[in-house]
Amino acid sequence: MVRRLSELPEVEAKHLGTDRIKCPTYDDTPLLSGTPLAQRRVAIVSTAGLHRRGDRAFDRDDGSYRVIPAETPASDLVMSHVSVNFDRTGFQQDHNVVFPIDRLRELVADGTVGSMASVHYSFMGAFPVDAALPHAKHLAGLLKADKVDAALLVPV
Amino acid sequence: MGALGHFLEREGIPTAGISLVREHTEIVRPPRALWVTFDLGRPLGKPDDAPFQTRVLRAALALLERTDGPLLVDYPEAVEGEVDLSGWACPISLAPRPSDTLGAEVARLATWYDRAVAARGRTTVGTSGLDMPAAAALVSGALDGALPPAQPLKLAVDDLRAFYLEAASAFPDPGTTKTRVAWFWDETLLAKALLRLQPKLAASDDGQHKVLANLTLIPATQRHRLGGST
Repeated sequence: MVRRLSELPEVEAKHLGTDRIKCPTYDDTPLLSGTPLAQRRVAIVSTAGLHRRGDRAFDRDDGSYRVIPAETPASDLVMSHVSVNFDRTGFQQDHNVVFPIDRLRELVADGTVGSMASVHYSFMGAFPVDAALPHAKHLAGLLKADKVDAALLVPV
Repeated sequence: MGALGHFLEREGIPTAGISLVREHTEIVRPPRALWVTFDLGRPLGKPDDAPFQTRVLRAALALLERTDGPLLVDYPEAVEGEVDLSGWACPISLAPRPSDTLGAEVARLATWYDRAVAARGRTTVGTSGLDMPAAAALVSGALDGALPPAQPLKLAVDDLRAFYLEAASAFPDPGTTKTRVAWFWDETLLAKALLRLQPKLAASDDGQHKVLANLTLIPATQRHRLGGST
């Protein structure tokens, strides 16, 4: 269990500490309004380094994304995140603990969420911000083309 | 993760995200974040617990309807610790035998891996494009001869690690994820090979080998096993 960094064992706290990991800062935070959730079309944007088996694996400092069509079978999902400092056994056991596509599909079925994107996406976290920016801009266009009006951002 | 919230929201896509490290999210200040206290690698909390995952997902998506941010909301549910099985012993004997090899260890695990795949209907092995004997041969060759390029070696190692841990999940008494990870590092030839490979990679003139040695081969929590070599 991850609590506050100050509560973690020293080696883990040091690894995750903001002395070592330089987080980007922003002067302001945009917040868009939208329709009720029951009318939204939601895409999952993961940073777990997920992709379909056979797709190009992620490499260090890779700011690009991989495309995961909604109909991708769980058996085709693999992870090539370069970090070795997070648990992978949860994903091995159940992909939804990282990529909750079946849970999202259920929320669409019961009317909580309007609809689900036809395509989802994964980056590999810890990317250099400058490397990801052009890909994220391109991704925004793809999401709009799919009429997506909400992105669920899931780290790993 | 938080940076993507800024990017996408500025481009017209509303976002809500999960935060695993509150201190990072406090700095990045993305539009909407739900902080959870789950293990890294498990942002939805519990594998094979759909109701738990759904509660987390509902809480994250509910943030979309708010514009009074940046929002950083604490999720109230925690995952209880796993049962302490500190006395657990691997029920499958993988103890090295005379003239044992990494390839032989991989072969001994194959039947358990097959059982795991049959039970789950899927595997996370498969980023390297190699079968496991070939991946083991790549690691053995790296130890005994010239180092291959870092990226294929890294993917082979990650595939092997997934293969071992998936196999161990199908043991007759599989213990917990923590005991299986401890088993991997305490008892397997693969772990010993990785610990031996690390200083060789660190001494390479290739910068990518050094990155592998220093960052992406041995987890931070296991680097004490390297002794004074780092």
